[in-house]
Amino acid sequence: MGLLEATTGAFALLLRGDAALWHIVWVSVKTTLSGLILATPPAVVLGYLIAMHRFPGRRIAVWLAQAALSLPTVLIGLLLYLMLSRRGPLGDLGWLFSQPGIIAGQCLIGLPVLLAFTLAAVQALDPRYAETALAHGASRLRVMFSVLHEARYGVMAAVISGFGRVISEVGCALMVGGNIEGHTRTITTAIALETSKGDFAQGIALGIVLVTLALAMNGVLVLLQGDAHNPGARL
Amino acid sequence: MTPLLSVHALHKRHGERLLFDIGRLDIAAGAAYVLTGANGSGKSTLLRMLGGLERSAACSVEFDGLHLPLYPYPRPLRHAIVYVHQHPIMFSTSVAHNIAYGLLARGGDRRLLRSLVDEAMDWAGVTHLRDNDPARLSGGEKQRVALARARVLQPRLLLLDEPTANLDGAAREQVIALIPTLIDQGASVIVACHDRDLINLPGVQRLKLRDGRLESR
Repeated sequence: MGLLEATTGAFALLLRGDAALWHIVWVSVKTTLSGLILATPPAVVLGYLIAMHRFPGRRIAVWLAQAALSLPTVLIGLLLYLMLSRRGPLGDLGWLFSQPGIIAGQCLIGLPVLLAFTLAAVQALDPRYAETALAHGASRLRVMFSVLHEARYGVMAAVISGFGRVISEVGCALMVGGNIEGHTRTITTAIALETSKGDFAQGIALGIVLVTLALAMNGVLVLLQGDAHNPGARL
Repeated sequence: MTPLLSVHALHKRHGERLLFDIGRLDIAAGAAYVLTGANGSGKSTLLRMLGGLERSAACSVEFDGLHLPLYPYPRPLRHAIVYVHQHPIMFSTSVAHNIAYGLLARGGDRRLLRSLVDEAMDWAGVTHLRDNDPARLSGGEKQRVALARARVLQPRLLLLDEPTANLDGAAREQVIALIPTLIDQGASVIVACHDRDLINLPGVQRLKLRDGRLESR
């Protein structure tokens, strides 16, 4: 099958609303967003705390957070597989080869990205924001929300980068999800499978969806950043 | 007269270098002070320590009859003392929201909030900037918004770090004109500055940091 023929077939699949294809997209989006929703609050809070506080071992924490960015997803998949397998410590959950298992993996993959980017965004922020909040009687919690509000574009970039890393990973989803048709097959595991079978049309169609999702997420960020100099809350 | 705030054994080191060592500093209720000293003498650091923004070594304070540590900064001081930066920073909301920041943070009566903010904006002459983006304000406007943001909290002690630095002409005069009105309203005020017009304000006591010691004149 030539590239032109495969691409034409891919558009035909997308346009005729192929149910199997769109179910794969749905599983990917659902597991990615669920993983990100679970990872974002702890990662952002941890990133903020590491950025704002001086404590023994802080430099090691920063180093670990940044080093975790380059962890191969297949290694995370392997560790999670061992944890979730029948004899593993979390085997009783029955999450292996299930969507909750993929979500757990996506959460672990997204967490370091969100943490490291939030840490960098908060560290880059003028320290007078936190000082001004404190000097005007804000509680520690309110200081955190005020600082994160000022660093919101960096935090949003963290979420979008996390989304990109999670939705495009294949190793963990394949190992923990098992690539079961109609259940745990995601965009990336489907592309890997269909390509190995020589069905390039579905692979290209899913690739187009993946790129479109990435463009859409980044477009949202660009739109929000474009609004950065408009005053926010009014009284 | 019982001081509003008494600070004992306040000292600060930057590495091996002793920045200052102050045996005792008394701030009277409703009194105004200008704090002078050469660049690097520790004026800003002293104000930041009093405002709870800088760590201090073992040091105790008496505030309103209470014996408190200066670090970790105690809640009664956090609600009574407001520090204003030399170059104030504005949250990326509106000017009015910036002025309301401390009131919102302290959870005061929301029905009163709008009238308090309106009154503070009127006092600082920034009512016309109400819904503006603070990022677009001039240095003088930012300083006046910062003074309004501090004043609206009715602090017992206001710490102003070189409020006229880098301002000139009308902007500087507008800021200078606001400071006596703050003093008249009964707050104690310490102004770190080099500005002769502030140093020579009537009724202001002078403090000078020199060679790590605080001189009262």
